[in-house]
Amino acid sequence: MSWALLRIEFVVCAWIIVLLLGDLLVPPPRKASLWKLALAGAVACGVVLGLTPIEWIGHRFQDMFVLDRFALYFKSLSLLTVGLVIIMTRHLTASGRPSTRLRLAQDDPQQALSVKTEARLEGSLPHPGAFYMLLFTALLGMLVLASVQDLLLLFIGLELLTFSLYIMAAYLKTEPQAIEAGMKYLILGSVSAGFLVYGISLLYGFAGDTSFRVLQAAIAKGPVPWTAQAGLLLIVAALGFKVAMFPFHLWVPDVYQGAPTPVVALLSVGSKIAGVAAMLRVLFGVFMPLEGLWADVLAGLAAATMLYGNLGAIPQTNIKRLLGYSSIGHAGYLMMGISTASSAGAQAVGFYALAYLLSNSAVFLVIASAASAVGGDSLEAYNGLSRRSPLLAAVLFVGLLSLAGVPPLAGFVGKLLVLLATMDSGRLWLVMIGALNVVVSLYYYLMVIRRAYLLAPSSSQPIVLDGLTRLTLLALCAAILIIGVVQQPFLEQVGLALRP
Amino acid sequence: MRQSHPHLVRRIAVTATGLSLVAAVWAVMTYDRARGGYQHELLVPWMTDLGINWHLGMDGISATLALLHALCAFAGVLISYAIKDRVKEYYLFYLLLISGVFGVFLSLDLFFFYFFYEMAVIPMYPLIGIWGSDTREQGVVRFTKEYAAIKLTIYLTAGAVLALVGILWLYVGTGASTFDIVSLERQFAVTPVPANLQRAIFPLLAIGFGFIVPLWPFHSWSPIGHAAAPSAVSMLHAGVLMKLGAYALIRIAMNLLPVGAQTWLPVLAALCVMNIIYGGFVAMAQKDLKFIIGYSSSSHMGYVILGLACLTTLGLNGAVLLMFAHGIMTALAFALVGHVYDQCHTRYLPDLGGLAHQMPFIGACGVMAAMASSGLPGFANFVAELFVFVGGWDRYRVQTICAVFGVVITSVYMLRFVRGTFFGPVKPVYAHVHDAVSPFARLPYVLLALVLLGVGCWPAPLVRLVDSGARPLIQRVAPQEVGRLAGQR
Repeated sequence: MSWALLRIEFVVCAWIIVLLLGDLLVPPPRKASLWKLALAGAVACGVVLGLTPIEWIGHRFQDMFVLDRFALYFKSLSLLTVGLVIIMTRHLTASGRPSTRLRLAQDDPQQALSVKTEARLEGSLPHPGAFYMLLFTALLGMLVLASVQDLLLLFIGLELLTFSLYIMAAYLKTEPQAIEAGMKYLILGSVSAGFLVYGISLLYGFAGDTSFRVLQAAIAKGPVPWTAQAGLLLIVAALGFKVAMFPFHLWVPDVYQGAPTPVVALLSVGSKIAGVAAMLRVLFGVFMPLEGLWADVLAGLAAATMLYGNLGAIPQTNIKRLLGYSSIGHAGYLMMGISTASSAGAQAVGFYALAYLLSNSAVFLVIASAASAVGGDSLEAYNGLSRRSPLLAAVLFVGLLSLAGVPPLAGFVGKLLVLLATMDSGRLWLVMIGALNVVVSLYYYLMVIRRAYLLAPSSSQPIVLDGLTRLTLLALCAAILIIGVVQQPFLEQVGLALRP
Repeated sequence: MRQSHPHLVRRIAVTATGLSLVAAVWAVMTYDRARGGYQHELLVPWMTDLGINWHLGMDGISATLALLHALCAFAGVLISYAIKDRVKEYYLFYLLLISGVFGVFLSLDLFFFYFFYEMAVIPMYPLIGIWGSDTREQGVVRFTKEYAAIKLTIYLTAGAVLALVGILWLYVGTGASTFDIVSLERQFAVTPVPANLQRAIFPLLAIGFGFIVPLWPFHSWSPIGHAAAPSAVSMLHAGVLMKLGAYALIRIAMNLLPVGAQTWLPVLAALCVMNIIYGGFVAMAQKDLKFIIGYSSSSHMGYVILGLACLTTLGLNGAVLLMFAHGIMTALAFALVGHVYDQCHTRYLPDLGGLAHQMPFIGACGVMAAMASSGLPGFANFVAELFVFVGGWDRYRVQTICAVFGVVITSVYMLRFVRGTFFGPVKPVYAHVHDAVSPFARLPYVLLALVLLGVGCWPAPLVRLVDSGARPLIQRVAPQEVGRLAGQR
């Protein structure tokens, strides 16, 4: 039975091979439909996850891996993210698109010019099979991180995720921006991996083992030397890189601007949530007794992260770059919840992660669907979106306002819970900063909404969406609204997962 | 629903607000004034872990304000027939705004109070940004509507989050384990909130809600916002939205933090004099009609704050009555300014004049609004202002004298407004403009003016309704005041 605990991970591994074979066997013209295979894989994983027997919950595999409610919750979030990312890639691999483009180009010579430049900028995803394979290795990393009970496994999970993202960030390898994005991410990511390994080795020197159980016992037993404390802070720094915490956030804006939109969605949602899960595992699971050491550090960094992200977003002119800064701001809120070192804080972080996933994915799905039609990622391209596609504009409206934390949307409840937990932990100054950041973030989100609703469009061509995208957009919108209004059942589930 | 059916959309909006007006009137009629307290309650546990309940109900104060809101919303939807562009979206946001404001007046739970409060603020952005108008002075744009919209939204949200911090602090600091206002009242009656905590939280709530009142010096969003908004939105905005702040001060800050109120209300009373005098003088200097009404609104809200700062039954009654009277009056004023702007395409006072010839009906309404605003007997405002002045006399004598002087300033700029717009020589440029002719177009004006006159001539029922809410509140918050007054009698 112990191996069976890993069966979701096995399914993902199997699907990596299926995708590899699929890429080999499917003839090139039909490769664009590989997304269906990938989506089927995500659904299969979801089914396996949903069928996890209750009596397995709480079982461990060799002190390395645990399948508890916490793990299941974050695994479902990761799976959901990957499923949404696959739907976003449709627009980049779908075979229907070039012909639409051609038809457009024939209609209007000026349009043809802009389409041509856009094609160079946006580009479709080459080698979809390889892309989906990388997506699934990243998923594997995230799934492992949710269950981690050993520092070495933490390293493996994190690197699985990060390595896949290195390649995916530079996936459009003929474009200078993408190469810059990949390079920046690679260099800073490697530095943070160095931090992680160094931290692990210091902790190994302290406890004589890398498993969480032994570490817990060692911390409970005796004085913790400064080397081990330094090791802990190094690990926090490495995870801080994943969630884009100040001052480890420097890669974010450039990578967000250069990488393909679905990859950015994965980075900003999946990678962040996996990093938060790992942080909760390490800090809450093992280092709770040393709360005095890390809680204040995290609180200070959370404040700096929020301020940097939200203030930095104001002057941006590229929507992906803007969302990059905004995602730094959200990392600040997540850190704020973790810095409470309380179970209420953990619950708040869990809820916030769910709300953030839905809202941010909704916004990225809009960007991915609109990019080719509006011609690029500049904010100006979104002028008058509501006349060209009321649905896209409405989802953008709901998603951005949910990110800003406006009732009755999910993001509001997440922010409220985080602020409440922080107030409970006695940091009034942090609550003040968090609350004022709501105002700052509302400003730049409204500036995007202003373009979509207030300004006149440059072209009146309606944007046509396919059925699946339409359905997903509506489902995300409905989920954001439902979670924002009927919070109790979701709060209960999150509480079960995150309040032991 | 398609954009091509604007009539259907309009009809749905009229039906919805009409029904809510009927419901509000019904709720007020069936409210048992003798019993007082919260009535028509609805309680559904919502987030049980945090003690959040879906708790709706009304006492005399919220019943009065809900009625005001229902009247303004109904009139506003009728006035909105002037909107011709993107009708469906307009009504979507407008109805969202209306439901948010209803939610605030009826919530008896701090969480939902904030929930609806913020929900009422956000639709203002698209409403002003899309359907609003730039403020021009001699043809030059002074403020764009986008600037007005973002300024308003950011100011109000900043106020809201400050108040939210105050609410969270109250919740955590007292270990309350519930957001339910009624439960909190009971709990605080047994174990009062520590005095220092009250004194620390009260300014957060007062400034936070003061943003929307708008209390001087946080008022600068308001005239710009009023001026840029389409007239139906200005009506709701000046008529009702500003009252949210004062209502929140009463329902949350004063009700739950009596010691904090005792300490800080004199400061509010001093600030509100700035509202009255400064707002009045600035209104005198304005040349844009909407700016005149906008500054006059922030000036009048000064009286409301003065009334509630008294912490006496009389003063609080006056404050709530004035909220009602001023809401109706200002809605009427914005509606007719909107009509003038629609017809003449300018709101610049020096360009207007003699319009009473072309639009006698609107002109008559303008005169009524001006008289009501100046507090002439016979209009509801007179009764309310009298209450405030008498209530304030004992405690804030200097402030009350200033406030009475404010009435003079009001009559100066309101008469100027009426004279400059409706009287004087007829200008040939406006030969073609029309009055509100059809009974349907006149309905909102008639409705609002009748309510103003009706309450002014026979205020007793409304006063008793307000009193049934204000008296227990003052008894709870400032029992010594009630005792003192009783002794005097």
